[in-house]
Amino acid sequence: MENKNEEAVKKPSSNVFDIFVEGARKGWHIGVNNMLPNVLMAYVIAYILTVLGVMDLLGSLLGPVMALWGLPGQAFVVLLTAWLSSSASVGLAASLYTTGVLSGQDITILMPAFYLLGSQLQYMGRLLGTSDVPKKYWPLLMSASLLNTLLAMFVMKFLILFF
Amino acid sequence: MNSEEKQEKNKSEKLMQEQTDPGLTGQAKVGVVSILALLFGILFFAGFFASFQDMKWMKAFDFQALSGTFGTIKTVGKDTFLGAGGVSARAGFLFAFSLLPSVMFALGCVEVLAHFGALRAAQKLMTPLLRPLLGVPGIVGLTLITDMQSTDAGAAMTKELYDKGLIDKKEQTIIAAWQYSGAGMISNFFASGSAVFALLAVPLIIPLLIIFIFKFIGAIYVRIMLNTFFKEDFRRGE
Repeated sequence: MENKNEEAVKKPSSNVFDIFVEGARKGWHIGVNNMLPNVLMAYVIAYILTVLGVMDLLGSLLGPVMALWGLPGQAFVVLLTAWLSSSASVGLAASLYTTGVLSGQDITILMPAFYLLGSQLQYMGRLLGTSDVPKKYWPLLMSASLLNTLLAMFVMKFLILFF
Repeated sequence: MNSEEKQEKNKSEKLMQEQTDPGLTGQAKVGVVSILALLFGILFFAGFFASFQDMKWMKAFDFQALSGTFGTIKTVGKDTFLGAGGVSARAGFLFAFSLLPSVMFALGCVEVLAHFGALRAAQKLMTPLLRPLLGVPGIVGLTLITDMQSTDAGAAMTKELYDKGLIDKKEQTIIAAWQYSGAGMISNFFASGSAVFALLAVPLIIPLLIIFIFKFIGAIYVRIMLNTFFKEDFRRGE
C-alpha cells in the first residue's frame, strides 16, 4: 500500500491541487534540507564573529568601501558568505537586521547580490563541472558573477529612490 | 516488499563498507591534526572556554554558548513564537522554521504556474533575444528556463546540447555563464529569500527582475571576452 501511494505521487497529475501539493513538498525538502541547515550555520557564524569582535572590526575597516553602495562595512561579511551559500547569506542578513546592523534598505540593495554571487563555490562542481565547461574559462565566469553583483547593487541603490 | 528488501540490502552493504573503512578499523593514520581535533573537541564540548569570566570572546569556542538561546516573548500580542533576543543556533533554527510555510506555499504556486505553461511562455518570449544578445541558437531557451528552476537540471541539459553537437564550445561557455550567476534563481529566491521579504523596501518582483536582467549582462560580458581576449581559442572552431 505504502509503495502504491508513493508511485501515485510520482506520476504527473493534471489536478491543480495535486500539483500545488507536489510543489509545496519540494518547498519542504528545499527548506528542511537546504535552507534550514544553512540559516542555522549563518546564525552561528554571525554570533562567533560578533563575540570575537570581527564584525565591529570589519565594520570600521571596510566601511569606506561598502559606503560606495551606502552599506555598512559589515555587509562585506554577508557578501563573502553569499559566495559560499546564498541561503546562509540571507540568513546572516536577517540576523544582522535583528541586531540593528543592517536596515531594510541595506538588505534591499543586497538582495540581488545574494543570488548573483550566490553559492559560487558549490556551483563550481554542480554547474560548471556538470555542464563540462573547460576549466580555463571558470575564472572568467566567476568574474562575470562578481561584476553582476557589484553593478546590481548600484542599480538597486538607484531603484530604491523610486519607492 | 521488494523495495524494502532492497533497502535492507543497501543497508547491509553500507555497513560492510563502513566496517572496511580505514577510518573505523583503526588502520587510518592518526596525525597531529587528529589529536589536536580531539583535544579541541573535548574542550569545546566540556565548556572549558566558557570558564574564563574576564575573556568573554572565548565563548566563541564553547559549544553551550554557540548553541545560543531562543528568544523570549516580551510583548504579548506582538512577538511571534520566535520571541525577541534569541541568538546563534537556537534562534537560527526557529527563524528558519518560521520560514517553511511561505517557502512551501511559494514553491507550490510556482509549480502550478509552471503547469499552466508560464515558463513555456517565458521561453517563447526569450527565444528571439538569444541570437542577437548571446549569439546562441534559440534551442537553448529551454536550457536557460530550466536553470531558473533547477541548477543541476540546467547544467545537465547544457552538457547534453554540446554532446549532441547542437552548440559549440563557445556557445556552451556563454550558456554556462548565463546559468552560473543567479543559478536556480526562482527556487532559490522564494526558498531562502523569503527570510527577508518582509524587510524589502521595494516590491519583491524588482530584485527578481534585476537578477534575471543581470544574467544576460554577465553572459554578454563573457561573450565579448570570448570574442576578443580568448579569440585564438575558437579560430578553428573547437
